[in-house]
Amino acid sequence: MTRRAALVALTLPVLPRVGLGAVLLALAVLAGVIVGETALPLRLVGDVLAVKLWGAERALDPIDAGILWSYRLPRTLVAAACGAGLALSGVVLQALVRNALADPYLLGVSAGAGAGAVSVALLGIGGGAIGLSAGAFGGATAAFVLVALLARAAGGGPAQLVLAGIAGSQLFNALTSFLIAKSANAEQARGLMFWLLGNLSGVRWPDVTMALPVVGAGFLVCLAHVRPLDAFSFGSGAAAALGIAVRRVQLVLIAAVTLMTATLVSLVGSIGFVGLVIPHAVRLLVGPRHARLVPASALAGAIFLIAADIASRVLIPGQVVPIGVVTALVGAPGFALILIRNRRRA
Amino acid sequence: MKIEARDLGWRNIVRGVSCEIRPGETFGLIGPNGSGKSTLLKLLAGLMPRAAGEVRLDDVPLGQLTRRQVAQRIAMVEQFADTGEALSVRDAVELGRTPWLSPLSPFGPEDTRIVDEALAAVDMTGMTKRPWSTLSGGERQRIHIARALAQQPRALILDEPTNHLDIHHQLALLGLVAALPVTVVMALHDLNQAMMCDRLGVMSEGRMVACGAPSDVLTPDTLGRIFRVRAMPMTDPEDGSTLFRFLPMEEPR
Amino acid sequence: MPFPLSSALRGAVLLAAPLFCAFPALAQTEYPLHLSNCGVDLTFDAAPVRTVTVGQAATEILYALDLGDRVLGTSVWFSAVLPQFETVNAGVPRLADNDPSFESVVALRPDLVAVQYEWHIGPQGSVGTRDQFADLGIPTYTLPSDCEGKDNSVGSDGTRLAPYSIESLYQGIDELARIFDVPERGAALLDDLRAREEAAIDAARALDLGDASAVFWFSSAEMDIDPYVAGQGGAPAYMMEALGLRNIIDSNEEWPVVGWETIARANPTVIVLARMDRRRFEADDVERKLDFLRTDPVASQMDAVRHNRIVVLDAHGMDPSIRNIDALETLSAALAGLDLQ
Ligand SMILES: Nc1ncnc2c1ncn2[C@@H]1O[C@H](COP(=O)(O)OP(=O)(O)O)[C@@H](O)[C@H]1O
Ligand SMILES: [Mg+2]
Repeated sequence: MTRRAALVALTLPVLPRVGLGAVLLALAVLAGVIVGETALPLRLVGDVLAVKLWGAERALDPIDAGILWSYRLPRTLVAAACGAGLALSGVVLQALVRNALADPYLLGVSAGAGAGAVSVALLGIGGGAIGLSAGAFGGATAAFVLVALLARAAGGGPAQLVLAGIAGSQLFNALTSFLIAKSANAEQARGLMFWLLGNLSGVRWPDVTMALPVVGAGFLVCLAHVRPLDAFSFGSGAAAALGIAVRRVQLVLIAAVTLMTATLVSLVGSIGFVGLVIPHAVRLLVGPRHARLVPASALAGAIFLIAADIASRVLIPGQVVPIGVVTALVGAPGFALILIRNRRRA
Repeated sequence: MKIEARDLGWRNIVRGVSCEIRPGETFGLIGPNGSGKSTLLKLLAGLMPRAAGEVRLDDVPLGQLTRRQVAQRIAMVEQFADTGEALSVRDAVELGRTPWLSPLSPFGPEDTRIVDEALAAVDMTGMTKRPWSTLSGGERQRIHIARALAQQPRALILDEPTNHLDIHHQLALLGLVAALPVTVVMALHDLNQAMMCDRLGVMSEGRMVACGAPSDVLTPDTLGRIFRVRAMPMTDPEDGSTLFRFLPMEEPR
Repeated sequence: MPFPLSSALRGAVLLAAPLFCAFPALAQTEYPLHLSNCGVDLTFDAAPVRTVTVGQAATEILYALDLGDRVLGTSVWFSAVLPQFETVNAGVPRLADNDPSFESVVALRPDLVAVQYEWHIGPQGSVGTRDQFADLGIPTYTLPSDCEGKDNSVGSDGTRLAPYSIESLYQGIDELARIFDVPERGAALLDDLRAREEAAIDAARALDLGDASAVFWFSSAEMDIDPYVAGQGGAPAYMMEALGLRNIIDSNEEWPVVGWETIARANPTVIVLARMDRRRFEADDVERKLDFLRTDPVASQMDAVRHNRIVVLDAHGMDPSIRNIDALETLSAALAGLDLQ
């Protein structure tokens, strides 16, 4: 009885906030769907949803309806998943390695993805049958395994993980540079760079069915570990003293983060700054406790990346700016502001 | 809770330590820098990987307990524990409830009460909203103790808990832990403070070279051999207790 | 070695030659020959006999001028050599499929390096700068199609300041013919190309295309991602302009990345796909491009796809090269076969 009462007491005050979050997210998705290279009327959203979800009969322009349903909606949903996943990964890694500069790409995942994609494109691995995505996923996983083994061999602490991540990233970035220098011409290099900087234009429904479940699962894993994550505030020794099975928790969380990041990088390239800046910004708003930080960062990351994607589509008419450029343009000054504010507080 | 160490060891840093710490006792660990006090404390709390020997908590081998079960029995305050997070004083103390919480038993009013008590016990009730980074070293130390208290352990393991504390809080802390009904094991530097413990263990080069009542252990001979000081016992005229005055060893010319 | 062009071509040359007397150098080239090439002043004391080519377009122009016996090595290949040059090409060593190293070029002791793109040999050349070669006494000749009206210091493939003009290609042919002291072969080749260009244009103009529009899809870095399409700057824009097709892409770049959303909304009359041997991106394969057009929920709704108004062209014909005229002919002929009313 007391347990149930406690559960109710816990969930009731949270409900309005969950509701508010859902409304904000829905508004962001709506904006992502109607704003773009070409303007779509708001009315079309209702019509298309009525036809697609309830099988209503409406006369729709096939191209407009297709753009909305097959391009914009999956793109916006994946942007949301991607923003949430990267922000969550940032939160988790910053807590686990106790380093404010930790970001989802810390463990070499993004460098590995780049090297994997470039290998596929330039070495002809897979003879054109394997897309860049598959190459990126393979590279990301390989890089992470290498980094993890290296960190383990070096002693296994958070500092070792960070150093191994740096070494792994350097190695894989060098490999990418080597491959590009060896065999790419400018046009290909440009294509690869464009892709590596992050690109949501190729997102379709199958990507949604990859991104949403992976990020959803990752979110649940993080949510289930908010107390362990708090317990890491004073280091892994203190966490262990608080009853946290440190090894297992690290393993589960890092696996979740790697899976999320590798999947997202392979779907849309490595979009920077979200995983670094969003957790810090959200900490300023809701504090360092992970029970709030985890859901708030996921929400903020999702909304931020939808907004960045909209900006990337409308900034230069008729042309799409790589979304990684937009996030960096917003993220770098944002990060500077956070640093300055933190200094004032300290 | 009874804590029993059997032939406990870790690499060469702690070697073959066996001793029994009795329920409710305040056990002090003394020894020069690098003698293995911190390592032994962590071994007792089950926090060192690949340890040799065995620790038993009320006759249950520690290895048979989960980390969570251990944390429900033992709270540990490490020597150097700091955070870059902008935690508040209350946040930090609430962490002590971690081993008792689960998704089915979330943080509730009872936990709030326990945290309030722990804060009061270390005299920090008025500062619960202060961010961690603004606290002095002594205040941080008291918060760590409060966190350990909030853990409601049956044994408290403290590594040099009086570090950073002003003399008032040093005495208050020692009085507090001595009055607690739980077993306390702590490493201490101040040998006069060590006199307040029920029993003392003396560490030297990884071994526990002596173990017993303070007056039996802290002899001028031991102090000379282990700590390389000349100790002059003096008697407090007020209550007749023994105090030490320390002088450098006379170097043989 | 037999003249590799067809006898029809030779006939055309004989007929057309008197019309182009204005061409500067039908007589023997007088050495030393002074020439300003892409901002570099060149002087030739004699016709080169040891040439290394960097870029397939430059290689094929030399073959078309029947100079294969003066080419010691080739590099930077985008597709198989044109069939009429297979024999001559078989006798020439290939230094590299892609960028050759500076030293491998120099090692052949060339007396001329003929270059298609400045990003191989130019101010930031991946092989070297023109100065580096000049320091070793090796002159470099860059096809004017990569520098006339183009600023290669901006953007990774350079930026065209003015749309590509086929005249810059013709200028390159003429200059190479003079450098190698074969002006009559240059004139013959140019006459042939000009005649074919005019015929293709006339044929398309006769179709009365009205407001017909087109998009050239080169490739995409990922199958579903925003594709590389021809902007207003490059050879495809010249072809569309010449044949009377409106390019739905406004960008002044040569190969901008434009969203399918924009392309579908513009709903071009004709879609032109690039066919290439390269297999670096999935979309390099023309079959995969066709698959995409037929299955993508939005792209498949475009009129050009629904009425199967899709033309496949050799990708290298979309870069400045003598293949531009082949591509122009193919496109013109294909338009005639489409139902464009
Ligand atoms: N993780 C470790 N690895 C290697 N040596 C260690 C480790 N931890 C402590 N030591 C060494 O073991 C010795 C005992 O350390 P410690 O237990 O901290 O001593 P004390 O607390 O008595 O000063 C010191 O020489 C220290 O340098
Ligand atoms: Mg110590």
